[in-house]
Amino acid sequence: MTGLVWLCKRETLRVSKLWTQTVLAPVVSSMLFILVFGLSLGGRIKQVGDVDYEVFIVPGLITMGMVQAAFANNASTIFQARFDRYINDVLSAPMKPWQMTFGYTIGGIVRALAIGLSLLVLAVALVDVPIERPFELALAISLGLLLFASLGLVVGIYAETWDHTSFIQNIVILPLTFVGGVFYSVDVLPSPWEELSHFNPVFYLVNAVRFGFLGQSDVSVWLSLGVTAALAIPAYAWAQHLFTTGKRLKS
Amino acid sequence: MFRDDTPALELRGLTKRYDDGTLALEDFNLQIHSGAFFGLLGPNGAGKTTLISAVCNLLRVTAGEVLVFGQPHDTLEARSWVGLAEQDINLDRFLTVRETLEYHGGYFGMQEDEIEQRAEEMIQAFGLTSKRDVRAPKLSGGQRRRLLLARALMHRPRLVILDEPTAGVDFELRQELWDYIRRLHAEGTTILLTTHYLDEAELLCEEIALIRGGHLIARDSAEGLREHFGVNRLEDVYVKAMAS
Repeated sequence: MTGLVWLCKRETLRVSKLWTQTVLAPVVSSMLFILVFGLSLGGRIKQVGDVDYEVFIVPGLITMGMVQAAFANNASTIFQARFDRYINDVLSAPMKPWQMTFGYTIGGIVRALAIGLSLLVLAVALVDVPIERPFELALAISLGLLLFASLGLVVGIYAETWDHTSFIQNIVILPLTFVGGVFYSVDVLPSPWEELSHFNPVFYLVNAVRFGFLGQSDVSVWLSLGVTAALAIPAYAWAQHLFTTGKRLKS
Repeated sequence: MFRDDTPALELRGLTKRYDDGTLALEDFNLQIHSGAFFGLLGPNGAGKTTLISAVCNLLRVTAGEVLVFGQPHDTLEARSWVGLAEQDINLDRFLTVRETLEYHGGYFGMQEDEIEQRAEEMIQAFGLTSKRDVRAPKLSGGQRRRLLLARALMHRPRLVILDEPTAGVDFELRQELWDYIRRLHAEGTTILLTTHYLDEAELLCEEIALIRGGHLIARDSAEGLREHFGVNRLEDVYVKAMAS
């Protein structure tokens, strides 16, 4: 287990050494969303259901900041380790494949939690967001981070250039997050957009997190958690498979 | 120190075919006894790095067996016995010299107090004291090469694999590295060295294997190889062996 502990330490160290890029920048950008969309635009929208708009968007923005960080962190750490080939120091070490998968997953989760907690503190101070269902919130965040941290690993392992990792981030994850109900309730969308939103996995994650904060969401929280878990478990299994077989990691 | 009867390294029918179809090693057999200083010579593409990568679990073996001190190479025990200094500099860009050694020790299962002490020992032995808190990308080429070797030795491996450790280093550093490697061998560590420098192989290695196209061509002491090929210099042995 010593190897696993040191790999977790290394991944956490990387996040802390680069804290201005890994934590501060995403917190600032998410806060700008809260300020611009919540406090200025919120003056016109007033309420979504019976929740103030500036409060309504906070769970989605926290989710967005966290999942993007979990993905980006793990995609870049594993890609860089492959690219510079210092991953060999880990691949040749007396560690089991599950320890390597877990160790490399941790960095993205630590980074996402640092961002999430910072945003939560700021959001509570600015717009007094409640936490109505802490158990469901913790479960939703755990599953969401597992999903995106694992996807980051998989993409970082398959990527052949830096562009590949940023392509998935900018062309797939960011748009899905934006149309996943972060800024609005999908109930207000006209058909077929409302129905199409239900095919977006991020929609379920945002709703599960929103339920944890506000106690209400567009769909059942258990459906949201179920969909997120149904994606997170295979994603992690995929990353584990790559470390077990050495596919894409070993020639 | 570690001498016993079990071979340090045993390859049985080792075959590696890459995904693009290249056959890098074919039914390769080799045994290196414990405590040996063994040299592997061959041109680029002969299969030297493939062989080393197979031993260190850095590639997916197509067929065959690799045993390290009698244990399959992919067991945790066998992995902990091998130290590798690769040909290319592959240091973690986020870590300082001290951290590079400490994290390596951690990955290889060393205990915290032992890690600190050993890292300090390595830093001093390789003349990196003034650079202990400098990150790898800010080191000179020679310092990086030293750190690479220090990292390979950090966890006190029984089998040290050096893939062209002196490629591109100046005369003084080469002498320093040779001295250190010799001391290591004198302490009983088994050493597998690949090099393009024939003088280096002759000077350091007790036994030399010549490989080409993924096959073992010949194996003996430098003297034995000269006799076998009927020439006076190792260079001529090499030329003859590679042309045959």
